[in-house]
Amino acid sequence: MEQFRLTMRGISKSYGNAAALQEVDFSVRPGEVHALIGENGAGKSTLLNILSGVRGADSGEISVDGSPVQIRSPLSARQAGIAMIHQELQHVPELSVAQNMFLGRPLTRAGGWWVDKKAQLARATLILKTLDPTIDPDTPIRNLKVSQQQIVEIARALLDNARIIAMDEPTSSLTPREFDRLAALIGDLKATGVSLIYVSHKMNEIFRVCDRATIMRDGRQVGVVNIRDEDEESIVARMVGRKIDKPDHQAFVSDREVLRVEDLTRGSEVVSASFSVRAGEVLGVAGLVGAGRTELLKLIAGIDRRTRGTVSVNGRAVRNYSVRAAIQAGIGLVPEDRKKEGIIKARAVKMNMALPSMHRFTAAGLISQSRLGREALRVMGDLRLRPLDIEKPIGTLSGGNQQKVIIGRWVAADAEVFLFDEPTRGIDIGAKSEIYHLIEKLAQAGKAIVVVSSEMTEIIRISDRVLVMREGRITRELTGSAITEENIARYAIKDIDPGA
Amino acid sequence: MTTQTSTRPGSRPALRLKFNLRDAGTLIGLFIIMVTFSFLSPVFFTVPNLLNILQQSSINALIALGMTMVIISGGIDLSVGPAAALSAVLGATLLASGVPVPLAILATLGVGALCGLFSGTLIAYAGLQPFIVTLGGLSLFRAIALIYTGGNPIFGIPLTFRSLINSDILGIPTPIVIVAVIALLLWTVMNKTPLGEYILAIGGNEEAARVAGVPVKRTKVTVYVLSGLLASLASLILIGRLGAAEPTIGSLWELDAIAAAAIGGASLMGGKGSIFGTLIGVIILGVLRNGLTLLNIQAFYQLLATGLIIIIAMLIDRATRGK
Repeated sequence: MEQFRLTMRGISKSYGNAAALQEVDFSVRPGEVHALIGENGAGKSTLLNILSGVRGADSGEISVDGSPVQIRSPLSARQAGIAMIHQELQHVPELSVAQNMFLGRPLTRAGGWWVDKKAQLARATLILKTLDPTIDPDTPIRNLKVSQQQIVEIARALLDNARIIAMDEPTSSLTPREFDRLAALIGDLKATGVSLIYVSHKMNEIFRVCDRATIMRDGRQVGVVNIRDEDEESIVARMVGRKIDKPDHQAFVSDREVLRVEDLTRGSEVVSASFSVRAGEVLGVAGLVGAGRTELLKLIAGIDRRTRGTVSVNGRAVRNYSVRAAIQAGIGLVPEDRKKEGIIKARAVKMNMALPSMHRFTAAGLISQSRLGREALRVMGDLRLRPLDIEKPIGTLSGGNQQKVIIGRWVAADAEVFLFDEPTRGIDIGAKSEIYHLIEKLAQAGKAIVVVSSEMTEIIRISDRVLVMREGRITRELTGSAITEENIARYAIKDIDPGA
Repeated sequence: MTTQTSTRPGSRPALRLKFNLRDAGTLIGLFIIMVTFSFLSPVFFTVPNLLNILQQSSINALIALGMTMVIISGGIDLSVGPAAALSAVLGATLLASGVPVPLAILATLGVGALCGLFSGTLIAYAGLQPFIVTLGGLSLFRAIALIYTGGNPIFGIPLTFRSLINSDILGIPTPIVIVAVIALLLWTVMNKTPLGEYILAIGGNEEAARVAGVPVKRTKVTVYVLSGLLASLASLILIGRLGAAEPTIGSLWELDAIAAAAIGGASLMGGKGSIFGTLIGVIILGVLRNGLTLLNIQAFYQLLATGLIIIIAMLIDRATRGK
């Protein structure tokens, strides 16, 4: 007798030395909507990737309806009846709805040489009728609203006779009304016996549509609960675990205000952000992916254009906003993705460092390599770059060292405001603490520092104050002993009201 | 060639000229080809012939040098030929109608710069793809040149100008000296000035360059203006030699330039290239053409040889660098 539609048992996965999943058990009953809950980095995505065949597990087994299955690829996952609907919808915008539904396995005739568009259209119409009859299967999919595109993805899953459908953050682009329709659709699917896995941070949604929930933390499964028996507080508490003690954190906060941000807005990505940072202060910015933290930093750094609002450094507003203007005002950004936005990998360490400050090393139009070299040795020596080789192409350095060079870039440019976006991403444990030490040194030197991080322990450890962002807004400021994982999670996740 | 300073802290910086490994490889290739030809033809390795090679290559050299900088910045300029044609017909008109030579030269260079400004602005500020923009420029400039001249050549370029181009400076033909001076200038820019750093940065990783405060737009416009300037400079040499300007000149110049740059080590992905390497590439192409001509081999085979050389150079690149 099959009690479970899906059983994942003992799933483990490591990337190098980092364990993403440790002996995770995950089971879903037939006709149930099962939530998968956890912070960023808890392992939800990895688990789903394994389930949908994108990644392979290091160990563990998966069974569908009692029979073990080998999921080696997205195709074998589909054949096992598992469908995944990603947060970023995966379709080809120019093709029609019907073509997208049959993407990868078109209906063919003449031994596979002729795509039977008519048959595809007919089958698509049939399925869409039950889901949303207003969708025309012949129109290019990009003409549809996002909520309709999502329904097409569900239809695609049903086409494969999927009995397990996983939805990753399904409502990130939906209005509350559209969510209502989705909830109704989910109810219909449930009734036909389909099992749904619902990954979301929105508690109100989970409480509305889900039956049970599996909570993950730090790569482990820490609990399976019946939604009916729980309330938000208890679930949040399990997500974040016990309170982390703040290790000795030295504060160098002075009274002098260095950075002031007022009403900074960019569309709906960042809404009316206002705060200030003093010399020597480390301001942490917490929140979920998509809350607008990176966007906030990019606005301050002049990389993105703002809709309105002002940024002032030492009392002077930054005018004619651009990257160059921000740099001249003393703002430096250490970006989230070093490879994409940070380093010029073929160029030497010293050149990567000197890029914003060329004028300091230029006389009569020519670069003084000796002056540049001296300064590079001084700055990078201070930042403890080891080995201290400033001629090597930066692409050959470790992640931690690359990060030091980027930091060095702004030290050499005499920046007053240092913006860090995920400062220790992709950096091993040893180098991590060195980066924290460097941030502390910068604070000691009177710089104003803003740190965006998804790692709770990191933010708690290095911040004097913490701003929590959600959906583009700063929802809360935490100081002193109020800086805890629970508080951060509470204000980062909890929906005050769905229609807001 | 690149310069390196010592990295040991505290020591006196010692300047060393270090040969770029890639350039060394290209030089060896040139050497092999030259040796081969000197065996096959007794006339090849003579001073008049070698000077001839350099002179014949001078036009491609200028175009290729400009192209190199554009390629390093991550772009491409397909409109150099027609830009040269447009500059040529305008310059010839001015010269033929008695405008003082220095003024006419400046005006001609101005036309080239304007062509570059056109492309560069669209690429940098409107964010359009360099390939497409300069492809459009190619047609546009050619059309303007043809319309302006009605398809006819412009004769009557005064002797004063012609003798300028056809003279020698210290025994070396002027065009070769011009190329040498320009090459030195551009080498200095690429290796010793912030602009050179910016070009390399943008070609290496444009987004990172932007975040690091590199003036991306300004730099991009600059490289295309330079490319246009060099195209018009090349056209001046051409009309000085021919005594006339045809609106159809410059056809396929961009291909020879890209070939030379590629042989010289420039990567079409951007971020990599060498002034010196491009010069060697130009000379290789020139030597090839010259050698095959001396051996009375038909022009068609010269085209074949050019194509093969390019592919061989790329294969060697792949094999030695693995990237």
